[in-house]
Amino acid sequence: MNARLRAVVIDDELQLRRLLHLALEAIGYEVFEAETGQQGLSETAFRRPDVVLLDLGLPDIDGLEVLKRLREWTSIPVVVLSVRDQEAVKVAALDSGADDYVTKPFSTAELASRLNAIHRRCKTLEAPTLVIGDLMLDFAKREVFLSGQPLKLTPIEYSLLRLLAQNAGRVITQKKILEEIWGPQSLDEAQYLRVYVSHLRRKLETCGVQIKNEPAIGYRLIAP
Amino acid sequence: MNTEEDDRPDPDAILAGLRREESQRKAGKLFIFLGMCPGVGKTYAMLQAALQRQQEGLKVLVGIVETHKRPETAALVESLDILPRTKLQHRGVELEEFDLDGALNRRPDLLLLDELAHTNAPGSRHAKRYQDALELLDAGIDVYTTVNVQHIESQVDIVQQITGVSIQETVPDSILDRAHEIQLIDLGVEKLLDRMAEGKVYMGERAGTAVKNFFKEGNLTALREMALRFTAEHVDRDLEDIRRAKRVSSPWKTSARLLVGVSPSPYAESLIRWTRRAAARLGCPWLVVWVETSHSLSPADNERLTRSLGLARKLGAEVVSTTGENVAAALIQIARERNVTQIVVGKPEKRAFFRRSRADKLIDVSGEIDVCVVRPQITSAAVKSAPSPSPFRSGTDTLVAEYSGAAILTFVLVALGRGAAPYIGYVSVGLVFLLVITLASLRFRRGPVMTLAVLCALSWNFFFIEPQFTFVIGKLEDIIMFGMFFIVAFSMGQLTTRLREREQAERRRQKVTAALLRVTQSAALSAEPKNGLSEALRTINELLHAETALVARISDHSLPGVAHGASTFTPSPKEWGVINWSYQNKQAGGRFTDTLPQSAATWFPLQTSTAVMGVLGVKLLSSATMDFGTRQAIEAFALQLALVLEKEHFIQAINHVEFLAHSERLQRALLDSVSHELKTPLAVIQVSLEALADLKNPYVDEIQTASRRLQRVVNNLLQMTRIESSAVQPVREWCVLGDVVHQACEAVGDPLSKHPLTTSIPPDLPAVKLDAGLFIQSLANILHNAAIYSPDGTPIEIFAALDRGKILTLRIADKGPGLPEDAEEQVFQKFYRGPGSPTGGTGLGLSIARALIRSLGGDVVARNGVKGGAEFTITLPVETLPP
Repeated sequence: MNARLRAVVIDDELQLRRLLHLALEAIGYEVFEAETGQQGLSETAFRRPDVVLLDLGLPDIDGLEVLKRLREWTSIPVVVLSVRDQEAVKVAALDSGADDYVTKPFSTAELASRLNAIHRRCKTLEAPTLVIGDLMLDFAKREVFLSGQPLKLTPIEYSLLRLLAQNAGRVITQKKILEEIWGPQSLDEAQYLRVYVSHLRRKLETCGVQIKNEPAIGYRLIAP
Repeated sequence: MNTEEDDRPDPDAILAGLRREESQRKAGKLFIFLGMCPGVGKTYAMLQAALQRQQEGLKVLVGIVETHKRPETAALVESLDILPRTKLQHRGVELEEFDLDGALNRRPDLLLLDELAHTNAPGSRHAKRYQDALELLDAGIDVYTTVNVQHIESQVDIVQQITGVSIQETVPDSILDRAHEIQLIDLGVEKLLDRMAEGKVYMGERAGTAVKNFFKEGNLTALREMALRFTAEHVDRDLEDIRRAKRVSSPWKTSARLLVGVSPSPYAESLIRWTRRAAARLGCPWLVVWVETSHSLSPADNERLTRSLGLARKLGAEVVSTTGENVAAALIQIARERNVTQIVVGKPEKRAFFRRSRADKLIDVSGEIDVCVVRPQITSAAVKSAPSPSPFRSGTDTLVAEYSGAAILTFVLVALGRGAAPYIGYVSVGLVFLLVITLASLRFRRGPVMTLAVLCALSWNFFFIEPQFTFVIGKLEDIIMFGMFFIVAFSMGQLTTRLREREQAERRRQKVTAALLRVTQSAALSAEPKNGLSEALRTINELLHAETALVARISDHSLPGVAHGASTFTPSPKEWGVINWSYQNKQAGGRFTDTLPQSAATWFPLQTSTAVMGVLGVKLLSSATMDFGTRQAIEAFALQLALVLEKEHFIQAINHVEFLAHSERLQRALLDSVSHELKTPLAVIQVSLEALADLKNPYVDEIQTASRRLQRVVNNLLQMTRIESSAVQPVREWCVLGDVVHQACEAVGDPLSKHPLTTSIPPDLPAVKLDAGLFIQSLANILHNAAIYSPDGTPIEIFAALDRGKILTLRIADKGPGLPEDAEEQVFQKFYRGPGSPTGGTGLGLSIARALIRSLGGDVVARNGVKGGAEFTITLPVETLPP
């Protein structure tokens, strides 16, 4: 049996912590709890977890601040768990380095699938090829195959697909996509992005891979 | 390629044309019936035209029409609606006048106003009738009026040259430029003379020989030619406008710009009129420039200059004043800065052989700019009128004292000289006299110094030069001595007075500058703005020997009914008319102006680059006129005060915004904590239930259903609260409508899957800019509503369209039972639940949908479809991407 994955849960609600503890243990995690932001930071530093589950409404430090402090020294995946469901808050959390955002109340199944996506990504980030359903990306040759047939993509479509595929299952904010593909000057040109996404969707129609739009936040690639 | 460039119409010209059209569309139209002289039938023609308009169904009102007891005219007037004249009391005499307020209250479509050049009776709102006409036009009322060509300001001096009659009542050309149409009423000279002979021409109450001389055949022919030419020029200009707009290349470069340099001389008015005529002919802008040198102006000069510049403003010139010792260089500098193509100067009257004239100097340095030397004429109006002292100058009483001082000084000198002469000799006495004259010129003004010089010279001759006690001088050297004494005394007086005048002018300028500085400092540094303003007003009072009142606008851009607390006089109820007028028209009004000159004070708008912050009233206490310098100083103060008020206004605005931001932060924090408290237990229940789902216990399913319902209610309630506390700020971005609709359907989820859904979006629909999150939520609520209120299996249809390229409409139609009778509005009310609603709803879905769409600037309405079922229509103004 491999070493168990570790998770740190930072939440001030005792009941939720207990429940998350149970639910995460059920899917094979070793869980450590923290009640405050400060505690969460030291617990993360001490335990070196594989994932951090972070609530935004903490009694001592604001959750976003905890996230920023974490990002100063580590790239451990962080999933934000919050009652705040406004798009602006989600974008702020994702732009500050959160890997995903789940609003409370949530279903355990959904949480599990998000966590899986994160770990899959961690494993495939360095791999030279990536397979999602019928889709195969060859990063070395910059080629894409759909059911074994080469798929013709423009350079921008390819970069977009690679970015989404490497983060499959995870929402990428519009800002991040624009920055990665067009550079930091083009933040206002979201309309281009829409056009490319719709082209890409058309080309990927036949395979099960979906590019889902999270309104006002960004895009998420969903594996079949 | 080049030719294409040239063919393109000048965008500025088109814009100017459009702007003029736009301001004219809102404002009323001015129709002018122009004639060469009284008696050609202008009034009759105007009445006929008005009758025709009345038959077309317009509301026509006769404001004022003089029939001069002509039966044909009177008959025409009777068939029109007549506005009673208002009666004014002036020094015990009752005067009848046009009732401007009555006309404004009646709001006719068209108003007849005879004799545009008429001067209103004292006590009327405006000095001149044409100002009444302007106010009517601004109120959106069309005006028909009549004018004779000799009353047009720019033509006055020509008429005077031709006829020798001086014209008092004039109409500025700018009002003729505003005319929508100028109709020339022409009549042959012989026919007119015939009519005169029949007594059909009204020649004023006292038809004296002067008036009769006016109606000579030669004069009339000349006047007729002027009227024809004037109308032709106007038609020409209209044609020019059309040509420019229609992409026809213009026959001349329209970038011409004229500049006329004026001095306080009586010729200035004539020069200004000449330039106006030239500018009108060229259709170009023109500047009037006054260069202030250190040479100080006499009160008469000041008066003339003020009037000349006033005339220039009235004729539509841009007036620029600058300072400089070299007038020619200053004129050239302004000309270069403003891209002037031609400078107009007056031809010098006499040529001094040793000095080059200003025109010569100007020509030397003008370079590529044309210089036009014009022979000006003195108009009668320019010469008359007595100057009055400016508040900066001392009064006449000190002058009398100086003259008597000169006499006494002479007396004392002679007495002392008589005693000293035997010891020091008469030559030394003369030198002492000279010394005293020099010293006196440091204190006295020119007149008294001259008097002293003459008295001293004569008494020296009389009492000291041999033979004594006669004016006879015996020796040749004494004659030379006397002559030199006289010349030295005289030039000494001249030089020192000129020096002193210069110093006085400088001191006056310094006083104004210092006062301005004080105003700025006191206003900028005082913590309490009111104190700063009081101090500023006190400074102005001291400098100008005046009283001041300030009316600052309040936050809704209107004036309060009371003057600012810092004011040193309280405006009388009568003054408020001119205060409001000045504020609204952004022009000075009241005393010394053409608008309500009967007022006690002159009112200046406090104008900054963006807004009028209020009005400053100045009541000069010791002066019967307001000269150019005083006016300039007050205008400078007004600008400073305006800036102070504007700063205060900005500070208030910032405080208000900060307050709002603070209360918004509080509200957000409250909302966040409430939603945290409600949602956390829900999350706990949700997670626990999922863990229990394996038990297959029916009670668990019940709890599950109840918990989901509770979640929906909490979400809806929180969302509603957020919308109502306007914590929802739309963030618009480009969206493809198909995506948005698709996501809304997904968000509804289960209930919608029981209905066949058709979506029809025009394929050419461009990307639209909207807040996708809010829009999807709102659309999802409507779709959810349609899904649960219509039986399973019935279709739901979505139709999208873009109206006029900027209004997005989205129609959601179901085939359910439709809305209850008269519930089209009620369904959007909070907590409204239709009869037969399935359990589990909150009655908030549709009201949230509407509130969200409204926060985006659109609306949602509901009605029953023609073929049954409910139909919801979203209309939303959107930006679209050009395809």
